[in-house]
Amino acid sequence: MIWREKKTLLIILGLILLANTLFFFTYRVQYKSRLDALDERLETAKSQLEQARTARTQAERTFQGYRQVEKDVLLVFNEHFSTQTERLTMMIAEVKRLALASNLVPASYSFTQQGEKKIEGTRAGESLGAHEVGIRFNVSGSYQQVRRLINLLELSQQFVIINGIGLNAVDEGALSLSLDLKTLFRDETADTKNNRL
Amino acid sequence: MKPIHLNLAARPYRDYRPVYAAVVVMSLVTAYLLLNNIETYYRYIRETKTTRAEIATIEGQTQVERNKREAAQQRLATLDLSRLDKQTKFVNARLAERAFSWSTLLDELESILADDVRLQSVSPRFQDDGTIILTMSFRSKSSDGMITTINRMNGDPQFRNPFPSQESFAEGTYSFDLVVQYIPVTMKKSEIVRTSARAKRKSGGRR
Repeated sequence: MIWREKKTLLIILGLILLANTLFFFTYRVQYKSRLDALDERLETAKSQLEQARTARTQAERTFQGYRQVEKDVLLVFNEHFSTQTERLTMMIAEVKRLALASNLVPASYSFTQQGEKKIEGTRAGESLGAHEVGIRFNVSGSYQQVRRLINLLELSQQFVIINGIGLNAVDEGALSLSLDLKTLFRDETADTKNNRL
Repeated sequence: MKPIHLNLAARPYRDYRPVYAAVVVMSLVTAYLLLNNIETYYRYIRETKTTRAEIATIEGQTQVERNKREAAQQRLATLDLSRLDKQTKFVNARLAERAFSWSTLLDELESILADDVRLQSVSPRFQDDGTIILTMSFRSKSSDGMITTINRMNGDPQFRNPFPSQESFAEGTYSFDLVVQYIPVTMKKSEIVRTSARAKRKSGGRR
């Protein structure tokens, strides 16, 4: 009877006591483990930061790598291949000069132009941004002259590729050399203004 | 004489002492726990201030790093990697063709060809692994010119797998064609091993 009369007071006091007891056992008794948990959280955060930093560095390095490759490819296209308008006559003049320097004078030259180099596997046949031009000529001379011409072509500043050679003995000590050269030119329509291919 | 029991109390008598005792005890315990808890809370806040601040800083830095990574990935997505890959392969192949030394090849051929065998034509085909397939035509005055040439190529580390495609005899001269794998001297030994291993894997895969 007396307890029922003071029910409200007792319930309020009981609840406050219960709340304090819960807090006490949660925080006071497990104080050390809570500190440890916080330290653990700090370690986790540090490791997450390290992972994020590594991932960022890797992503940036990958991007820079591709960008460098793009620049290098662009350099080859612009500096070595150049455009047909800029380099074709210079290259023909260079080949003639080297033949003359080897004391070999071709009777005739033949020139061929191949279409754009396409990217294989694309349905639309997307262009690689370059096309090929071939130069073929025959010369007669000694083996030493032939070797000298080949060597000069290899050392030339022009981007000339020796595609194939044919040799025939004309008479004692003389050879007929058939040289198949090729070079590449960048397509003038290729977008290089923005330093992109 | 009968005693008189006079009850002059306004209310019925109740002994509240146990209730008050319980209230006092509960209050004292509660007060003790409350003070202890407040002290614990402030101690926790004070002692972990540095750690919590460090965690907040680190989490902020992590977010910044994640944003930067996403930005790099978005920039990467703007590149046409497939096209760039094909262009790179194309350019590398052309540069390899340009760097190919015909003088070295002719020196090599001079060192292995027999006196009665003459080179007539040679055309290279450049492989992705850096090796070169040479298709060559020869003329010989003797019938064993082709066999001698193949044997000498087998003995030279720069040539691999020489294989004849045809041999004919006309007007006292033997003509034969050979296809051979040529490994330029500039290729390092390790590269040759890798190339060889790749070739083996490829042939194994075909089987």
